[in-house]
Amino acid sequence: MIDFIRGQLISISLIIFILGLIYQVIQFFRLTKKKEWVYPPVEVKSEKKTAGKWVSLCLASLNGTMWKTDPQMTVMTSIFHVLLIAVPIFLLGHNMLLHQSWAVSLWSLPESVTDILTLVVVICVAFFLARRLFLARVRAITGLYDYVILLIALAPFLTGYLAYRQWFNYDTVITLHILAGEVMLITIPFTKLGHMLFFFLYRFFIGSEYSFAKGARAWS
Amino acid sequence: MPNQEVKPVDTKRIKEMLDRRKAKMKRYLSYCAHCSLCAESCFLYTEHHKDPQYMPSYKAINSLGKLYRKRGKVDRKLLTEMKGIVWRNCVLCGRCYCPIGIHIPSMISFARTILRSQDIYPQLDEVSSESWL
Repeated sequence: MIDFIRGQLISISLIIFILGLIYQVIQFFRLTKKKEWVYPPVEVKSEKKTAGKWVSLCLASLNGTMWKTDPQMTVMTSIFHVLLIAVPIFLLGHNMLLHQSWAVSLWSLPESVTDILTLVVVICVAFFLARRLFLARVRAITGLYDYVILLIALAPFLTGYLAYRQWFNYDTVITLHILAGEVMLITIPFTKLGHMLFFFLYRFFIGSEYSFAKGARAWS
Repeated sequence: MPNQEVKPVDTKRIKEMLDRRKAKMKRYLSYCAHCSLCAESCFLYTEHHKDPQYMPSYKAINSLGKLYRKRGKVDRKLLTEMKGIVWRNCVLCGRCYCPIGIHIPSMISFARTILRSQDIYPQLDEVSSESWL
């Protein structure tokens, strides 16, 4: 079982993750169609701005956003999502394994830095858990599924931290770390963790008041 | 006015309607992160002392979400509860914001369509226990 978790299950989980995401992208383009008419109808050239004017316009654009309505959540969720991707990719241990397997690796952050950043991720998850437990409006739409997904997001980071520190039995903890990562990869395309992909598809491709880009597609 | 209480619920018709829009609606429901960031964008929520029942995600999950979870096998009592959610708690103003880009008004509108198919809709001469707004 342990050999399976440390061996074939890694490949299986990566394949499911990649094929699952490809399937969701194909389904998205199959279920939507290009709009015949996209607003604005003509390209509007923006006037030249000074640096100061540009900065004040950027700050003013935050007025109607989450930054004003819920600044704590905006900060925590932004930090969480950046570190969720950055920490595993630029972790020295992961890059050493990549180099051993495929003779390629990315640039790595110092271990002391990734140690602290992992703790930051755990603190962010604790913040999200506290929201679910103590904020009435979040509690109203929270179920067991939400706690499980939070655990799936937390597990790779917590077990990775414990493994790096060599707290408890290392072999057990590292196996749990690998398993936690595999579970996360497998569940991403098929659960609400898929917002990793759908955030970009919906906000950039589907036309609406809140589209980031032109939003040239619509549901058919 | 048709009597909304007597006719049995046509669960087969509800299931057909749910299946027709399953691809889009189920995706919306499953990718909802349950973050509640849509709450502040609803003026009904802010004006009703931040009552979670007026939150866009709560409305969608407890109307259309319930219909999909029960696969259309619902009774008239549940549909009447949903009537309050989709007509009393929402005016389909379209102001609701979702960070993931889920279009909540289309879900509420679809739930209304399903309720209307079962002759459940707000009646102007109805005596309600509380005002509609």
